Amino acid sequence: MIMRPPYQRNSSTPSQRTRSSWDLLERVSATALDEDYAKAAAQRDDDPRGRRRMPRTLGSLGLIGLGLLVTATALQTRSDEPAEAQERTALISQISERESEISRLASRTDELESDVEGLQGTNEQIGSRGEELLDTLNESQLLAGSVPVTGPGVRIVVDDESEGVSGSGGTILDVDLQVLVNGLWQAGSEAIAINGNRLGALSAIRTAGRAITVNYNSLTRPYVVTAIGNPDTLEASFADTPGGQAWFDLQTNYGIHFDMETVDDLTLPAVPDDRLDTQYATRQGQLP
Amino acid sequence: MIAILGLAIGLIGGLIIEPEVPDALRPYLPIAVVAALDASFGALRAYLDDIFDDKVFVVSFLSNVIIAALIVYLGDKLGVGNQLSTGVVVVLGIRIFSNVAAIRRHIFHA
Repeated sequence: MIMRPPYQRNSSTPSQRTRSSWDLLERVSATALDEDYAKAAAQRDDDPRGRRRMPRTLGSLGLIGLGLLVTATALQTRSDEPAEAQERTALISQISERESEISRLASRTDELESDVEGLQGTNEQIGSRGEELLDTLNESQLLAGSVPVTGPGVRIVVDDESEGVSGSGGTILDVDLQVLVNGLWQAGSEAIAINGNRLGALSAIRTAGRAITVNYNSLTRPYVVTAIGNPDTLEASFADTPGGQAWFDLQTNYGIHFDMETVDDLTLPAVPDDRLDTQYATRQGQLP
Repeated sequence: MIAILGLAIGLIGGLIIEPEVPDALRPYLPIAVVAALDASFGALRAYLDDIFDDKVFVVSFLSNVIIAALIVYLGDKLGVGNQLSTGVVVVLGIRIFSNVAAIRRHIFHA
């Protein structure tokens, strides 16, 4: 920096002066002293009342102000330091806190990922188990007769003796139907219904009053017994059973009507709900 | 003599009183000090040049401080507070340097 002697005017012309910022800095240093001092001094020289070129009250007040400003600022800066240091420490501890939080969350993520994998495996297991259970349920429903079933089988129509054929007055009793049904089971039937009344595990065939009842429904003649089973063997197998023999006897000795035919497509209704309820029997052991 | 006394009173008074500066004025305090130093060194140089004047000193002192603080305040409001502070400090620094250089020449005649 070039220091110019006091009061020396910048000799460059205004157009040159604005050419570079260096000139501006020179100008700043050249006019470092307020020109007012010179003007005031010149005025005082003209003033006959004498010269006052020593600092008095006003100047002292200004200097007191300077001292106050300097100390206030210095004290301020010093008192700000601990606060800044505190802030920095707080920020550093926050950073380490957040970092540990991040690592904690990362490990939690790993944990959850392995959990998810495990649960996916379990889910697959449950899925296959569910299919197994559905199969079992389906089978159980078919066996218990709680759902309508369809399939091939035989239809047997039996009736009392026609009026006056043999004179023996053959009438079908509940026992006869029981024997018939028993024979059909023995021959390999999987579902049996009499006059549309499906036989379930709790169904009874019995005489009530003048009529035979199945599932508490009175039957009227002729009795139609439908049985689902192997259509190729059911008829022949039935003939070999004691039930078949008994019915052969009924036919020959009492003139009971008995017609058996193989049917490709039979539909049997479900067992009524009240014949599917157990009240005292409870399951032993766990569900499969 | 009275000048040195005034400065001493100001410094010691500041240390004793420990003036609390309002938070709103805090950012402008350093700039105000630099402006006050500029005015004071100018006054010392004028004193040595034998052209010192009480009124001129106090007026330049107050106006320097207030204008410097106002410029920085304005810069803060316009979002260029740091740049303007730097500019003010540079200009005042150059003035202080050249005034101190003149004072040095007066004292050491060099």
